[in-house]
Parts: sequence; structure tokens; C-alpha cells
Amino acid sequence: MSNIKEILKESSVFICLGEDERVSLAQLFEKREIQAGDILATAEDAAQYFFLLNNGTVLLAMDEGKSVVLNKAGDFIGFELLSAKGVYRTTLTVLESGSVFAVPTQDFLAFIQKESVAATAIMTAWQGYLDKTASFAKNIEDISLPYNF
Amino acid sequence: MYGLEAINASNGWAISVVGVTIVFTGLVMLSIVIAQLYKVLALWENPSKIKALFKKKQPEKPREEQISNRVVFAESQKEVVKQFALLVRTMTDHFSLPRLLQLALISDLKDPYLNLNNLFKTKIIVPDGSGFFTWDKDMFDKLVS
Repeated sequence: MSNIKEILKESSVFICLGEDERVSLAQLFEKREIQAGDILATAEDAAQYFFLLNNGTVLLAMDEGKSVVLNKAGDFIGFELLSAKGVYRTTLTVLESGSVFAVPTQDFLAFIQKESVAATAIMTAWQGYLDKTASFAKNIEDISLPYNF
Repeated sequence: MYGLEAINASNGWAISVVGVTIVFTGLVMLSIVIAQLYKVLALWENPSKIKALFKKKQPEKPREEQISNRVVFAESQKEVVKQFALLVRTMTDHFSLPRLLQLALISDLKDPYLNLNNLFKTKIIVPDGSGFFTWDKDMFDKLVS
């Protein structure tokens, strides 16, 4: 897959969105090629982007040595998995070359705040995704507050 | 001889029952064919479904065979994987993957990112569900040793 709309449609986090919402959200993403060894995000840096994996493999290194490997198209790397209060809390390293779709965090969180119905659906799906992918990373008490991320 | 008497004499009842049965069976078969016609039309409109149909029918290979088919270690890669194994031996049973990557970089292993990814894909390195990883020695022996 290489089309952002298709990825959003396949992603378990965004599958719940309607066609119009998906089109609006798709406009915020930009495609980036990634190479093995690239660092997409560094812990303690300002959180500028969330990422949606298209292909390739990334290693998300958290504090205390914990980590998760993400390698499925549609894997979303954002919210508490990546940042807290505007700062990256994890380091994202590329293990296998491929591509991601990057979305500016501010634009994404603004979309969440504007589209309340979509936001609820996304956050519910996100919690399910997190349970499957990295349940140990769940530590945000109030997911309804965008500034948490 | 006329009427029912003539029908009986010429096996008319049996002939008519056979005839009705043939016609009825034909109509039933025709209705079944028409009822399933939409599937044929769907395949006609989307030929990719035909390929998918055949793909599904292929017998599933055993899981381990699928894994080893996907990533086959070259001899040089096997050496690097053995070096990874040595690094893992210096760590706890449930080890940190970023730490292992860091050690691989410090040790100047060849293609550390790619090889670490291969170890994950072949399930030699397995997540333990709490953010750490374990080393599957059986899989390592099977694929590398």
C-alpha cells in the first residue's frame, strides 16, 4: 500500500472514520522514505510529528529499556506511545527501510479537537490498538485531553 | 382400447412420472444455476478474485517453514547472528532490545539494524509482552546452527 487513504482505511486506529473525515485527515499526512538506522524521533526532543507506518520496521525505545517493534502497514505511532505534554518520551529507530506518513502533532491534535465524534472513535480504537500492541505503555489517565500528548 | 385402460396398457403412468421428474429436475437445476450466476458475474467484473480463489486453495505450509522461507540467513549473516547470540548471553533472560542494538553498534557488528530485524522476523527474538524480549534458542539452533 502506498496511498494514505488506503492506509487510513486499513489501520485499526482509523478504520472507524467516515469517508469525509478520512479525506480531511489524509490531507494532514506527508509521505517520508525511511532508511535502516534513521532516527525518526528522539526522546526529550519537542514532539513535532506522529507517524503512520506504510512499510518497513521501526523500533520504539521507551524508558527503562522497554520497547516495541512495529512492522505492519497502518501501525500508528503517536499519542502516549510517542509523546507526553509536547515532548517525545520515546526514541524511534528504523530497523528496516520503507516509508511512513508523518503528521504534525499540532495539526493532528487540532483535528481531534475539532472533530469530536471522530476523536471519540479514534481514541476508543487507539486504546484497543494499544492493548494489543504495547499494553505496558498505557499510562495516560485522561485520554480526552489533547495536551497530554 | 381407449382412455385409462389404454394408458395402463402402454405403461403411460410410469412414462408420465418419469417425464415430470425429468422436467422438474431440469427446472430445479436451472434455478440453482441462475441463483449462483451473480457469483460468476462478480468474478467477471473483478478478475483479481479468481487469483485470490486459487491462492486460498494452496495448502498452508507449516509455520516454521514459512518463517525460514521468508528470511534465509547467508553464511556471513549467520556469523553476525552468532555474535548477537553472544551479546544476548551477557544480558538477562528478558532483555532490552534497544540495549541489544546499542551493544551491537558498540561492537561494530555488520548491518546491526537489518540483522536485528531479521532476528525479530524469524522469531529468534520474541517479545515477552512487558516491553522486553527473550531469545528462542530452539529457533536459533534450527535456523543458524
